[in-house]
Amino acid sequence: MFWRQDQSPKPIAITPSITGKTEYCLTCHVDIPEISPSHPVETFGCVLCHGGEPLALDADLAHSTMRGGANPSDLSVVEASCGGEMCHSESAQANRDHIQRVTTSLQATYAGAIAQVRYAFGAQPDLTARMGIYAIDGLAAFDPATESSPALQGFADNCLTCHLSSQPLEGEEYSRWTGCSACHSPAPREDGTQVHKLTTAIPYTQCNACHNRGNYSLADMQFHPRQDNPTDRLHDYYQPIAEFTRCEYTLDCADCHTRQEAMGDGHVYSNKKEIQYVRCKTCHGTPDALPLTHTITDENDLALRMAFLNPVIDLKVGDTILITDKGEPLWNIRVMPGAAGETPTYELFSKSTGDRFTFKPVMGSTCQQNPDEQQASSCHECHATQR
Amino acid sequence: MDLFVKASLAGSALLGLSALGRYISFQVESGHPSTYDLGPASDYPAGSSTPALGIPAFIIHNDQGFKALSLVCPHLGCTVNVTDEGFGCPCHGSRFLRDGSLRNGPASHPLTSLKVELNDDGHLILYMA
Repeated sequence: MFWRQDQSPKPIAITPSITGKTEYCLTCHVDIPEISPSHPVETFGCVLCHGGEPLALDADLAHSTMRGGANPSDLSVVEASCGGEMCHSESAQANRDHIQRVTTSLQATYAGAIAQVRYAFGAQPDLTARMGIYAIDGLAAFDPATESSPALQGFADNCLTCHLSSQPLEGEEYSRWTGCSACHSPAPREDGTQVHKLTTAIPYTQCNACHNRGNYSLADMQFHPRQDNPTDRLHDYYQPIAEFTRCEYTLDCADCHTRQEAMGDGHVYSNKKEIQYVRCKTCHGTPDALPLTHTITDENDLALRMAFLNPVIDLKVGDTILITDKGEPLWNIRVMPGAAGETPTYELFSKSTGDRFTFKPVMGSTCQQNPDEQQASSCHECHATQR
Repeated sequence: MDLFVKASLAGSALLGLSALGRYISFQVESGHPSTYDLGPASDYPAGSSTPALGIPAFIIHNDQGFKALSLVCPHLGCTVNVTDEGFGCPCHGSRFLRDGSLRNGPASHPLTSLKVELNDDGHLILYMA
């Protein structure tokens, strides 16, 4: 017995500075890469996020109290893993209320889709959200067992595969994690291996695990996958139901759609139109008005922190960036220096690739748009690319 | 009792006690030491600013004597890097001036000052607590 013990690998101990408690996880998991520059293992360790028994050297025992299996960001355990008063469930004032925002978001609650379908089949009198995938903040939990319409039973059976708590459909094109990692971690590979990574540099392919995969039909309550087999970005980005402008398929979703749009603002909504507010004019302005800007004067500006976490742009105090009409910083888009009185030029750095693009505002151009018509379809009339 | 049986019982008892002793004497590797011998003070001449080797601390020798700054970021405990302007945390971007004072967050406190003193052998002793 002693001989066998002496032949066992020596435990590899780390004592993360946040907890001060020794962990032996790296004895077996020595090859796992750092998950992100903001979560170094010597500071965070493994157990703070993943749970588990830190001093166990037997795999079954060590993993027995893990949270969420391989994914501690699953919404069922996210508060204990990614949350906590030091981490991502602090105050809105500190810009650290991520969990509160995500758990009430449409992507998590699916409240909009549930409301639409229940209304369509007479289960509720209007389109106001009353139920979500789980109960939260005034929403009851959607329970198909209590629904009388067979259509709603079919909805529950076939159409609940795209909210943040759901397991994805089979197939590499649908592959994703749940919870925070649905967006912030690369999907598990086709061979089942996983990439231990957290990132804010999110490419459109991450969003396409749920979006642009096909359509749900209320007629037969089935999901109908898209039938095309795109081989290039132009055709892969959106399913063949509409035409889009060059920036819509050149940039990634996260270059335009803001944190509030994707992660929510802490309020429950009934339809994505209530939270999705970025328009072409957010960056391009209108014939009458330049896009909104914000000059960074404070070293603690949120834009500087966002740029630090994803350094595609060397943002600094004194720079002027674009902001949305809700004041969200478009920290990857900066006004380029120019002469006073000249039409400004803007530079955008792709959050996913770091590629740089420059563009001019609508003001001063030959654009013939009606400033009161700011739907994407209005701009598409001239700027959409034939696919 | 038969001598063989007695010997067997004694041997088993010894083995059992040995295993028990080995079990209860196992020491979890403790955390980091609370004091460090930084070596001869002459290694830190007047006017020098030196990162301590293998220790998250920065040793400054100015006209007021020896001073040490912890390189543990007061935000979440990452080890800050030495930069041209002072110190910068690679985790979430907090920055500090050369004297450890806070330049920008998310940290809300300056770098911690650590006690450092000369012992009888002329070595600098750093106290991490």
